[in-house]
Amino acid sequence: MVFESVPYGLPSYVFSPNWFYGFDSIIELIAILVSILLVYYSYKCFKLTKEKKYLYFSAAFLSLTFGFIAKIIGTLAIYKPSITRTALGSSIHEAFTGLTPYNINAIALVMHFFFMLLGFMILFLIISRLTWKNQRVIALLVYFVFIATWLSIIHYQLFYFTSFVLLSLITYSYYQNYREVKSKKAGFVTIAFGILLISQAFFVFVIYSRIVYVLAELIQLLGFVYLLIPFILIFRKRPRIIK
Amino acid sequence: MIEKRRGKLEIIADILSSMQKKEGRIKPTHLLYKSNLSHSKLKEYINMLLEKGMIEEKLVKGKKMYFMKDQGYKFLLEFERIKEFSDSFGL
Repeated sequence: MVFESVPYGLPSYVFSPNWFYGFDSIIELIAILVSILLVYYSYKCFKLTKEKKYLYFSAAFLSLTFGFIAKIIGTLAIYKPSITRTALGSSIHEAFTGLTPYNINAIALVMHFFFMLLGFMILFLIISRLTWKNQRVIALLVYFVFIATWLSIIHYQLFYFTSFVLLSLITYSYYQNYREVKSKKAGFVTIAFGILLISQAFFVFVIYSRIVYVLAELIQLLGFVYLLIPFILIFRKRPRIIK
Repeated sequence: MIEKRRGKLEIIADILSSMQKKEGRIKPTHLLYKSNLSHSKLKEYINMLLEKGMIEEKLVKGKKMYFMKDQGYKFLLEFERIKEFSDSFGL
Protein backbone atom coordinates (compact mmCIF):
# COMPACT_ATOMS: atom_id res chain seq x y z
CA MET A 1 0.00 0.00 0.00
CA VAL A 2 1.15 3.54 -0.60
CA PHE A 3 2.49 4.82 2.70
CA GLU A 4 3.68 8.23 1.75
CA SER A 5 4.53 10.22 -1.34
CA VAL A 6 8.15 11.33 -1.06
CA PRO A 7 10.07 14.01 -3.01
CA TYR A 8 10.48 13.86 -6.80
CA GLY A 9 7.20 11.95 -7.05
CA LEU A 10 8.72 8.73 -5.77
CA PRO A 11 6.15 6.48 -4.13
CA SER A 12 6.85 4.45 -1.01
CA TYR A 13 5.24 1.00 -1.02
CA VAL A 14 4.90 -1.90 1.39
CA PHE A 15 2.50 -4.63 0.33
CA SER A 16 3.19 -7.23 2.99
CA PRO A 17 0.72 -7.94 5.81
CA ASN A 18 2.25 -7.20 9.23
CA TRP A 19 2.60 -10.87 10.21
CA PHE A 20 4.65 -11.51 7.01
CA TYR A 21 7.13 -8.67 7.69
CA GLY A 22 10.64 -10.05 7.31
CA PHE A 23 9.58 -13.38 5.82
CA ASP A 24 9.57 -11.76 2.38
CA SER A 25 13.12 -10.52 3.06
CA ILE A 26 14.15 -14.13 3.83
CA ILE A 27 12.62 -15.25 0.52
CA GLU A 28 14.49 -12.45 -1.25
CA LEU A 29 17.68 -13.57 0.52
CA ILE A 30 17.21 -17.11 -0.84
CA ALA A 31 16.72 -15.63 -4.34
CA ILE A 32 19.96 -13.66 -3.83
CA LEU A 33 21.87 -16.82 -2.83
CA VAL A 34 20.64 -18.71 -5.92
CA SER A 35 21.44 -15.71 -8.13
CA ILE A 36 24.94 -15.33 -6.66
CA LEU A 37 25.58 -19.02 -7.30
CA LEU A 38 24.63 -18.55 -10.95
CA VAL A 39 26.70 -15.34 -11.18
CA TYR A 40 29.74 -17.11 -9.74
CA TYR A 41 29.54 -20.26 -11.89
CA SER A 42 28.72 -18.41 -15.07
CA TYR A 43 31.64 -16.05 -14.51
CA LYS A 44 33.88 -19.06 -13.87
CA CYS A 45 32.71 -20.50 -17.22
CA PHE A 46 33.59 -17.17 -18.86
CA LYS A 47 37.08 -17.22 -17.34
CA LEU A 48 37.65 -20.77 -18.59
CA THR A 49 36.11 -20.51 -22.05
CA LYS A 50 36.40 -16.75 -22.77
CA GLU A 51 32.92 -16.96 -24.30
CA LYS A 52 31.01 -13.71 -23.73
CA LYS A 53 27.60 -15.41 -23.38
CA TYR A 54 28.62 -16.60 -19.91
CA LEU A 55 29.65 -13.08 -18.93
CA TYR A 56 26.27 -11.67 -20.04
CA PHE A 57 24.43 -14.43 -18.17
CA SER A 58 26.48 -13.58 -15.10
CA ALA A 59 25.64 -9.88 -15.57
CA ALA A 60 21.92 -10.70 -15.82
CA PHE A 61 21.87 -12.52 -12.48
CA LEU A 62 24.13 -9.91 -10.89
CA SER A 63 21.55 -7.30 -11.85
CA LEU A 64 18.78 -9.46 -10.32
CA THR A 65 20.93 -9.80 -7.18
CA PHE A 66 21.19 -6.00 -6.91
CA GLY A 67 17.45 -5.79 -7.50
CA PHE A 68 16.68 -8.14 -4.60
CA ILE A 69 19.20 -6.41 -2.32
CA ALA A 70 17.49 -3.09 -3.07
CA LYS A 71 14.11 -4.61 -2.19
CA ILE A 72 15.41 -5.97 1.12
CA ILE A 73 16.90 -2.57 2.03
CA GLY A 74 13.69 -0.79 1.02
CA THR A 75 11.33 -3.04 2.94
CA LEU A 76 13.57 -3.33 6.02
CA ALA A 77 13.64 0.46 6.25
CA ILE A 78 9.88 0.27 6.88
CA TYR A 79 9.77 -3.01 8.83
CA LYS A 80 12.66 -2.11 11.11
CA PRO A 81 12.96 1.70 11.29
CA SER A 82 15.25 1.11 14.30
CA ILE A 83 17.96 0.36 11.68
CA THR A 84 18.25 4.13 11.15
CA ARG A 85 19.25 4.44 14.81
CA THR A 86 22.24 2.10 14.46
CA ALA A 87 25.75 3.59 14.05
CA LEU A 88 25.71 3.10 10.27
CA GLY A 89 22.07 4.19 10.05
CA SER A 90 22.67 7.43 11.95
CA SER A 91 25.82 8.28 9.96
CA ILE A 92 23.82 7.83 6.72
CA HIS A 93 21.05 9.89 8.29
CA GLU A 94 23.52 12.67 9.12
CA ALA A 95 25.05 12.60 5.64
CA PHE A 96 21.65 12.75 3.96
CA THR A 97 19.57 14.92 6.24
CA GLY A 98 15.87 14.46 5.93
CA LEU A 99 16.22 10.89 4.69
CA THR A 100 13.28 9.08 6.28
CA PRO A 101 12.59 5.32 6.14
CA TYR A 102 9.96 6.17 3.51
CA ASN A 103 12.59 7.96 1.40
CA ILE A 104 14.90 4.94 1.65
CA ASN A 105 12.01 2.65 0.75
CA ALA A 106 11.12 4.77 -2.30
CA ILE A 107 14.70 5.05 -3.60
CA ALA A 108 15.34 1.34 -3.01
CA LEU A 109 12.11 0.50 -4.82
CA VAL A 110 13.22 2.42 -7.93
CA MET A 111 16.57 0.60 -7.81
CA HIS A 112 14.65 -2.68 -7.43
CA PHE A 113 12.52 -1.87 -10.50
CA PHE A 114 15.55 -0.90 -12.60
CA PHE A 115 17.85 -3.82 -11.72
CA MET A 116 15.10 -6.45 -12.00
CA LEU A 117 14.00 -5.19 -15.42
CA LEU A 118 17.61 -4.89 -16.59
CA GLY A 119 18.34 -8.45 -15.41
CA PHE A 120 15.31 -9.90 -17.17
CA MET A 121 16.13 -7.88 -20.29
CA ILE A 122 19.73 -9.19 -20.43
CA LEU A 123 18.39 -12.74 -19.96
CA PHE A 124 15.95 -12.14 -22.81
CA LEU A 125 18.79 -10.85 -25.01
CA ILE A 126 20.96 -13.91 -24.30
CA ILE A 127 18.24 -16.49 -24.80
CA SER A 128 17.12 -14.70 -27.99
CA ARG A 129 20.69 -15.12 -29.27
CA LEU A 130 21.12 -11.38 -29.80
CA THR A 131 24.77 -10.34 -29.81
CA TRP A 132 26.51 -6.99 -29.49
CA LYS A 133 26.37 -6.86 -33.30
CA ASN A 134 22.69 -5.97 -32.82
CA GLN A 135 23.75 -2.76 -31.06
CA ARG A 136 20.77 -0.67 -32.20
CA VAL A 137 18.28 -3.27 -30.97
CA ILE A 138 20.11 -3.55 -27.66
CA ALA A 139 20.23 0.25 -27.26
CA LEU A 140 16.48 0.39 -27.90
CA LEU A 141 15.80 -2.34 -25.35
CA VAL A 142 17.96 -0.65 -22.69
CA TYR A 143 16.07 2.58 -23.37
CA PHE A 144 12.90 0.55 -22.90
CA VAL A 145 14.16 -0.55 -19.45
CA PHE A 146 14.67 3.11 -18.43
CA ILE A 147 11.21 4.06 -19.69
CA ALA A 148 9.60 1.09 -17.96
CA THR A 149 11.38 1.99 -14.69
CA TRP A 150 10.24 5.60 -14.97
CA LEU A 151 6.64 4.64 -15.70
CA SER A 152 6.73 2.07 -12.90
CA ILE A 153 7.43 4.93 -10.48
CA ILE A 154 4.13 6.46 -11.58
CA HIS A 155 2.31 3.13 -11.44
CA TYR A 156 3.97 0.17 -9.70
CA GLN A 157 1.76 -2.37 -11.57
CA LEU A 158 3.54 -1.50 -14.78
CA PHE A 159 6.77 -2.90 -13.32
CA TYR A 160 5.21 -6.25 -12.52
CA PHE A 161 3.38 -6.30 -15.85
CA THR A 162 6.62 -5.57 -17.76
CA SER A 163 8.41 -8.29 -15.77
CA PHE A 164 5.52 -10.60 -16.63
CA VAL A 165 5.88 -9.85 -20.36
CA LEU A 166 9.68 -10.31 -20.27
CA LEU A 167 9.37 -13.54 -18.29
CA SER A 168 6.73 -14.81 -20.76
CA LEU A 169 9.23 -14.36 -23.59
CA ILE A 170 12.06 -15.88 -21.52
CA THR A 171 9.91 -18.88 -20.48
CA TYR A 172 8.84 -19.49 -24.08
CA SER A 173 12.47 -19.39 -25.22
CA TYR A 174 13.45 -21.82 -22.46
CA TYR A 175 10.59 -24.12 -23.50
CA GLN A 176 11.99 -24.09 -27.04
CA ASN A 177 15.46 -24.78 -25.62
CA TYR A 178 14.02 -27.72 -23.64
CA ARG A 179 12.44 -29.17 -26.81
CA GLU A 180 15.78 -28.79 -28.57
CA VAL A 181 18.10 -30.30 -25.95
CA LYS A 182 15.48 -32.60 -24.35
CA SER A 183 17.27 -32.72 -20.99
CA LYS A 184 15.67 -32.97 -17.55
CA LYS A 185 17.77 -30.03 -16.35
CA ALA A 186 16.57 -27.78 -19.18
CA GLY A 187 13.04 -28.84 -18.18
CA PHE A 188 13.63 -27.67 -14.61
CA VAL A 189 14.90 -24.30 -15.88
CA THR A 190 11.75 -23.92 -18.02
CA ILE A 191 9.52 -24.80 -15.05
CA ALA A 192 11.49 -22.37 -12.83
CA PHE A 193 10.92 -19.45 -15.19
CA GLY A 194 7.29 -20.52 -15.67
CA ILE A 195 6.79 -20.36 -11.88
CA LEU A 196 8.52 -16.95 -11.70
CA LEU A 197 6.16 -15.82 -14.46
CA ILE A 198 3.14 -16.89 -12.37
CA SER A 199 4.56 -15.05 -9.34
CA GLN A 200 4.77 -11.83 -11.39
CA ALA A 201 1.11 -12.30 -12.42
CA PHE A 202 0.21 -12.43 -8.71
CA PHE A 203 2.36 -9.37 -7.94
CA VAL A 204 0.33 -7.33 -10.46
CA PHE A 205 -2.71 -7.66 -8.17
CA VAL A 206 -1.05 -7.11 -4.75
CA ILE A 207 -2.84 -3.79 -4.29
CA TYR A 208 -6.20 -5.59 -4.01
CA SER A 209 -5.26 -7.99 -1.21
CA ARG A 210 -2.25 -8.36 1.03
CA ILE A 211 -2.56 -12.15 0.94
CA VAL A 212 -1.85 -12.01 -2.81
CA TYR A 213 1.58 -10.59 -1.94
CA VAL A 214 2.26 -13.54 0.39
CA LEU A 215 1.22 -15.99 -2.34
CA ALA A 216 3.35 -14.17 -4.94
CA GLU A 217 6.39 -14.29 -2.65
CA LEU A 218 5.90 -18.02 -1.92
CA ILE A 219 5.53 -18.78 -5.64
CA GLN A 220 8.67 -16.75 -6.32
CA LEU A 221 10.51 -18.83 -3.69
CA LEU A 222 9.38 -22.02 -5.45
CA GLY A 223 10.67 -20.59 -8.75
CA PHE A 224 14.13 -20.00 -7.32
CA VAL A 225 14.18 -23.46 -5.71
CA TYR A 226 13.43 -24.94 -9.15
CA LEU A 227 16.24 -22.81 -10.61
CA LEU A 228 18.60 -24.36 -8.08
CA ILE A 229 17.68 -28.00 -8.94
CA PRO A 230 19.44 -28.20 -12.36
CA PHE A 231 22.49 -26.54 -10.81
CA ILE A 232 22.63 -29.20 -8.05
CA LEU A 233 22.09 -31.99 -10.61
CA ILE A 234 25.05 -30.73 -12.67
CA PHE A 235 27.33 -30.63 -9.64
CA ARG A 236 26.20 -34.00 -8.28
CA LYS A 237 28.01 -35.58 -11.20
CA ARG A 238 31.12 -37.43 -10.04
CA PRO A 239 34.26 -37.94 -12.11
CA ARG A 240 34.45 -41.27 -13.95
CA ILE A 241 38.08 -42.01 -13.17
CA ILE A 242 39.37 -45.20 -14.78
CA LYS A 243 42.83 -46.23 -13.74
CA MET B 1 23.31 -29.35 -42.15
CA ILE B 2 26.52 -27.39 -41.59
CA GLU B 3 28.48 -28.64 -38.57
CA LYS B 4 29.69 -25.90 -36.21
CA ARG B 5 33.51 -25.58 -36.16
CA ARG B 6 35.01 -27.01 -33.02
CA GLY B 7 36.70 -24.62 -30.65
CA LYS B 8 40.00 -25.27 -28.87
CA LEU B 9 38.28 -26.54 -25.72
CA GLU B 10 35.97 -28.84 -27.71
CA ILE B 11 38.99 -30.36 -29.49
CA ILE B 12 40.79 -30.96 -26.17
CA ALA B 13 37.60 -32.50 -24.73
CA ASP B 14 37.24 -34.73 -27.82
CA ILE B 15 40.85 -35.94 -27.49
CA LEU B 16 40.45 -36.66 -23.77
CA SER B 17 37.05 -38.23 -24.30
CA SER B 18 38.53 -40.60 -26.91
CA MET B 19 41.17 -41.58 -24.36
CA GLN B 20 38.59 -42.04 -21.60
CA LYS B 21 36.52 -44.37 -23.80
CA LYS B 22 39.65 -46.51 -24.24
CA GLU B 23 40.02 -46.80 -20.45
CA GLY B 24 42.36 -43.84 -20.23
CA ARG B 25 45.04 -45.14 -22.62
CA ILE B 26 45.31 -44.82 -26.39
CA LYS B 27 47.74 -45.44 -29.24
CA PRO B 28 48.78 -42.34 -31.28
CA THR B 29 47.30 -43.84 -34.48
CA HIS B 30 43.92 -44.44 -32.79
CA LEU B 31 43.98 -40.93 -31.41
CA LEU B 32 44.63 -39.49 -34.85
CA TYR B 33 41.68 -41.42 -36.23
CA LYS B 34 39.32 -40.56 -33.34
CA SER B 35 40.25 -36.87 -33.00
CA ASN B 36 39.51 -35.99 -36.63
CA LEU B 37 42.57 -33.71 -36.80
CA SER B 38 45.54 -33.48 -39.13
CA HIS B 39 48.78 -35.08 -37.90
CA SER B 40 50.47 -31.71 -37.29
CA LYS B 41 47.43 -30.26 -35.46
CA LEU B 42 47.12 -33.33 -33.25
CA LYS B 43 50.83 -33.08 -32.40
CA GLU B 44 50.27 -29.45 -31.31
CA TYR B 45 47.42 -30.47 -29.03
CA ILE B 46 49.29 -33.50 -27.66
CA ASN B 47 52.27 -31.30 -26.74
CA MET B 48 49.95 -28.86 -25.04
CA LEU B 49 48.19 -31.61 -23.06
CA LEU B 50 51.58 -33.04 -22.03
CA GLU B 51 52.74 -29.59 -20.89
CA LYS B 52 49.54 -29.05 -18.87
CA GLY B 53 49.95 -32.45 -17.24
CA MET B 54 46.62 -33.77 -18.52
CA ILE B 55 48.19 -36.76 -20.27
CA GLU B 56 51.50 -38.61 -20.18
CA GLU B 57 53.49 -40.53 -22.75
CA LYS B 58 54.78 -44.02 -21.91
CA LEU B 59 56.37 -46.86 -23.84
CA VAL B 60 54.42 -50.11 -23.59
CA LYS B 61 56.17 -53.11 -25.14
CA GLY B 62 58.31 -50.68 -27.11
CA LYS B 63 55.30 -48.84 -28.54
CA LYS B 64 54.29 -45.26 -27.70
CA MET B 65 51.04 -44.91 -25.73
CA TYR B 66 49.24 -41.89 -24.21
CA PHE B 67 47.76 -42.17 -20.71
CA MET B 68 45.22 -39.82 -19.22
CA LYS B 69 46.16 -38.21 -15.90
CA ASP B 70 43.98 -36.90 -13.05
CA GLN B 71 44.26 -33.38 -14.46
CA GLY B 72 42.78 -34.66 -17.73
CA TYR B 73 39.85 -36.32 -15.94
CA LYS B 74 39.27 -33.12 -13.98
CA PHE B 75 39.24 -31.05 -17.19
CA LEU B 76 36.81 -33.44 -18.86
CA LEU B 77 34.45 -33.35 -15.89
CA GLU B 78 34.55 -29.54 -15.78
CA PHE B 79 33.99 -29.38 -19.54
CA GLU B 80 30.96 -31.71 -19.27
CA ARG B 81 29.58 -29.56 -16.44
CA ILE B 82 29.98 -26.35 -18.47
CA LYS B 83 28.29 -28.02 -21.45
CA GLU B 84 25.37 -29.21 -19.30
CA PHE B 85 25.08 -25.77 -17.69
CA SER B 86 25.12 -24.21 -21.13
CA ASP B 87 22.45 -26.59 -22.49
CA SER B 88 20.23 -26.29 -19.41
CA PHE B 89 20.30 -22.48 -19.32
CA GLY B 90 20.07 -22.07 -23.10
CA LEU B 91 23.47 -20.45 -23.49
